[in-house]
Amino acid sequence: MLAFWHRYKRNRSAVFGLVVIVLVVLMAATADFLYPFDPFRLAGKPLSAPGTNGFLLGSDSLGRDVAAGIVHGAKTSLLIGLIATLVAVFIGILFGALSGYYGGQLDNMLMRITEIFQTIPSFIFAILLVAILKPSIYSVVIAISVVSWPGVARLVRGEFLSLKSREFVQACHTLGMSDLRIMLREILPNCLSPIIVIGSLMVATAILIESGLSFLGLGDPNIMSWGFQIGAGRTMLRSAWWVCTFPGVAILITVLAINLVGEGLNDALNPRLRERN
Amino acid sequence: MKNIFKGSLVALALILSSVAAKAQEAGGTLAFLVQPEPPTLASYVSTSGPIGLVMPKVYEGLFDYDNDGKMVPMLAESYEMSADGKTVTFNLRKGVRWHDGEPFTSADVKFTILEVLKKVHPRGPNSFREVSRIDTPDDHTAIFHLDNPAPYMMRSFSAYESPMVPMHLLEGQDIKSAPLANNPVGTGPFKFVEWKKGQYIRLDKNEDYWQEGLPYLDRIVGRFIPDASTRTAAMENGEVMYAAYNAIPNIDAVRLKERDDIDVTTDGYSMINPMALIEFNTKEGPFVDPAIRRAISTAIDRRFMIDTIFFGYGKPATSALSSNYKATNLHAEMPNYPETGDVDAANAMLDAAGYARDGDGVRMRAVLDIIPYGEDWRRAGEYLKQAMGDIGIEIELRYEDVPTWLKRVYHNYDFEMNVNYFYQLPDPVLGVHRHYGTNQIRQGTHFVNSSRYSNPELDALLDSGSKEPDAAKRTATYQEIQEILANDMPVVNLFELEFLTVYNTELKGAYGSAMGAYGSFREAWLED
Amino acid sequence: MTRSSKIFRFVLKRLLQGIPIILAIVIINFFLLNMADGDAVDVLAGEAGSATPEYMAELRAKFGLDQPLPVQLFVYLKNVVVLDLGYSFRHDMPVSELIVDRFWPTALLMVSTILLAVGFGILLGLLAAMRLNTWKDAVITVFALITYATPLFWVGLMMIVVFSLNLGWFPTSGMENVAAFYEGWDRVKDIAVHLVLPTITLSLFYLALYTRMMRASMLEQYGQDYVITARAKGLTERRITFVHVLRNALLPVVTMAGVQVGALIGGSVIVESVFAWPGLGMLAFESLFARDLNLLLGIFLLSSVLVIVVNLIVDIIYSLLDPRIEVS
Repeated sequence: MLAFWHRYKRNRSAVFGLVVIVLVVLMAATADFLYPFDPFRLAGKPLSAPGTNGFLLGSDSLGRDVAAGIVHGAKTSLLIGLIATLVAVFIGILFGALSGYYGGQLDNMLMRITEIFQTIPSFIFAILLVAILKPSIYSVVIAISVVSWPGVARLVRGEFLSLKSREFVQACHTLGMSDLRIMLREILPNCLSPIIVIGSLMVATAILIESGLSFLGLGDPNIMSWGFQIGAGRTMLRSAWWVCTFPGVAILITVLAINLVGEGLNDALNPRLRERN
Repeated sequence: MKNIFKGSLVALALILSSVAAKAQEAGGTLAFLVQPEPPTLASYVSTSGPIGLVMPKVYEGLFDYDNDGKMVPMLAESYEMSADGKTVTFNLRKGVRWHDGEPFTSADVKFTILEVLKKVHPRGPNSFREVSRIDTPDDHTAIFHLDNPAPYMMRSFSAYESPMVPMHLLEGQDIKSAPLANNPVGTGPFKFVEWKKGQYIRLDKNEDYWQEGLPYLDRIVGRFIPDASTRTAAMENGEVMYAAYNAIPNIDAVRLKERDDIDVTTDGYSMINPMALIEFNTKEGPFVDPAIRRAISTAIDRRFMIDTIFFGYGKPATSALSSNYKATNLHAEMPNYPETGDVDAANAMLDAAGYARDGDGVRMRAVLDIIPYGEDWRRAGEYLKQAMGDIGIEIELRYEDVPTWLKRVYHNYDFEMNVNYFYQLPDPVLGVHRHYGTNQIRQGTHFVNSSRYSNPELDALLDSGSKEPDAAKRTATYQEIQEILANDMPVVNLFELEFLTVYNTELKGAYGSAMGAYGSFREAWLED
Repeated sequence: MTRSSKIFRFVLKRLLQGIPIILAIVIINFFLLNMADGDAVDVLAGEAGSATPEYMAELRAKFGLDQPLPVQLFVYLKNVVVLDLGYSFRHDMPVSELIVDRFWPTALLMVSTILLAVGFGILLGLLAAMRLNTWKDAVITVFALITYATPLFWVGLMMIVVFSLNLGWFPTSGMENVAAFYEGWDRVKDIAVHLVLPTITLSLFYLALYTRMMRASMLEQYGQDYVITARAKGLTERRITFVHVLRNALLPVVTMAGVQVGALIGGSVIVESVFAWPGLGMLAFESLFARDLNLLLGIFLLSSVLVIVVNLIVDIIYSLLDPRIEVS
């Protein structure tokens, strides 16, 4: 673990990314303390510029505090990213593991299903799912998970395929371990690092998809998120730039930081790259 | 009544000739915004807004209406109404030809009214419901025989409301699916050339237009730009020169107004009378009791909504009828419509009606549906959620797509309260009655009485309001109607929308008609 | 067996495998769309202003929407087999005509986007890999990530503000100048000018992907045994990079590009919306909210066919480029 941290911290931008993410998480965790009121509250004069009328980052067209929205929205955006990723990773592991471990007909069938979901144009499919399930935070999470899992499934399948013929797995068979135990206890831990890398990047993509859906008017109208703020402020970008620029910057910084961390993890976990450094 | 109309026709002819004396320049292409892309071009089947922007340039009506609501002769040169109001004779213009060269005759008028508008037009069956027979003694005379006097009918002859269509291209076909729909052939100043889906509709000058010297423009192109910010940019860049019906968001319109080359007007919407409102489910759910609905109307700060969401454009509602009906003495101010809202009074009303707050300060919970027609309405919903929170009504917002929403509100009645807007049109019979009459509880029909409000006393008043030819008696009837509605509040009217038209100042002559953007643009011209 | 007959059998097999996938996509989407509330008739009637339930029932019968779902699906599939994508009742046009109309703008935008993104991505990735863990590497990585993480509509609008409104170099939107209606070469030039801003905006989004892939791919190759051998033989780093590593590193990047061209046929709803580009993405988006089922299914069908075909072509090219990879 310590060795891993040593390798990780050699990549300075990855450390920077980690610091930013910790800050964003802290912000989300202390939202109710920083702005202890409903972020939808009409807090003052509409369209106040940043720094005026007591608004740090300005107010939107109804007089809602942009800063309060960003702080409360951090919670939503991070949660959407995390939960959608966890769901997608779970489905992906399930499909990939069964497919790679058992092979044959099962593999064939599961991979066909994966291909189906990979072949559908994903953003339009996400829009379709949200529209049909009615816009809400749940449908957004479901839609993002549904379009994200096939990548994980393929990755996990590949790892399982190559690991299952390794000696230590053969040894487990000889010891009479159950298939489930071998998959969960022996193989899975050995392919965690690429899963962690792809998962970290998926969190970032999920946040972007959420903002894209909100831009198209498909977000949850009852929950404050960065996507919601952008959707509400986009038509006034020219007159009141702060309304959607600050949440946009919040997304940018967060997605950037997550990607830097992902890249750092990749470098630190990938043994081949290690040799060159 | 007959004489008033006759007189105004003469006055208009004078105005028209004086307009023609100005120095117009012929030629040029006018690109304007059509938002959204229309589903079809069959304006005789669908009154969808964007169709209205395009088709009155191609099809014409018997009359147009000027900014004072006076009739301007178009395909009809004049008309005479019998003393009992039950026979109307139209004298049609001679020498008018359809774009394919066929002559326009009284047979076209008869066919259009009886076989097309009265049967397949969304509002035609109402506008022309009293027309039982049309006689055509010669090619240029059409005599309408009515069962009862129908003063509102004379307000519905514009190209947008009642377009005249060619009988020879529709007769014997299924009108709703005839190929004329998307290959329109009219008598108007512009001919249909091409509809490039996702891009534009192109109309070229009709060289054989019946009015000598018109139109001035060589071409009109309606462009479709889905994103509001881009529409604004296209206007700033001079790529489009005219944008009506809030195609440019108000916040940008307010900014563009400051420029020398762009102007903004609220003219051209007096025939529309749009009203923003909340429909309540009066049959089941939390809003069965009129006391709650009155309290909600009392709590809402209408001024705030107008100022923040529509940037000052709009008038607070003061009754179930639009204040634009003041011109015909039909509008009266009513209680329960405080302009800036009175939260204390609203709370007192709810306390008195016995709706106590629970530990969280909540009296009741409800779901508010929002009309899925863009960002402004979402903001309206978000404001209402906050405002109703102040009087102890906890709201959950629901924003669904158009088909889901229509099905929920007008078919399944599966809603509690719904933000919406209705066109009240130039007469309450045309635009308001459909909201409140018992006979307007029509499951599956859109934009009618979804509140399922039913009051026999009101029904009787509505009925006499539609038939009463005497102006003073009509005023009294509508006074009573408004009193009942202000008390029962099946619908809480929010504010009268003022749509904006943003235009490049190089464009002249596009604003003379009360129809505004739904006009023909035959006198529009470009200054260099 | 000869190589060419092997390839032929491979192609045939893959195409046959593609059929159930396409079928499944059509069936899944058919049922998903039918789960949604409201149908095309509701939308049309809603837009028309008002229509009686009798009229709506009549329309439903005309569109075949009154049939039980399995019957509707069967009719649709039966038509698809003879390459008939059905009729869009909303647009009053055959689906295939509508799609073909929108396909060329989409293809134009996608191909130019991919070329631009791949070109710059390869360049930046190469530079970053050669200067691994220096400030140049960091700057390139961060630049690519920023372009990826900035919301697309924001980039698009800023492009319009800067290059259309302030500098006046390009039109704000659309595909053609509708005041002029150019013909011949002038029209080609006109469309090219309209294409610039949407292409740059969209390629900024994909730039990060190719930059990162190129960088990773280069690093992967650097770690291969043949590089060590080459170094041992005393070849210069320059020569190793440009002659050996680069060629091998390009392979996966080009593969990815091929796959994306197929996947991008669905279009980019956001860029098409911001620039009013008449592509398939917006058409799909609008047809979803208009419940124009046949049209949406047609777009899904076309894009999945394209993904499968393009993937196949990429695999074949790949095997031709690299004889070590057998088609199988």
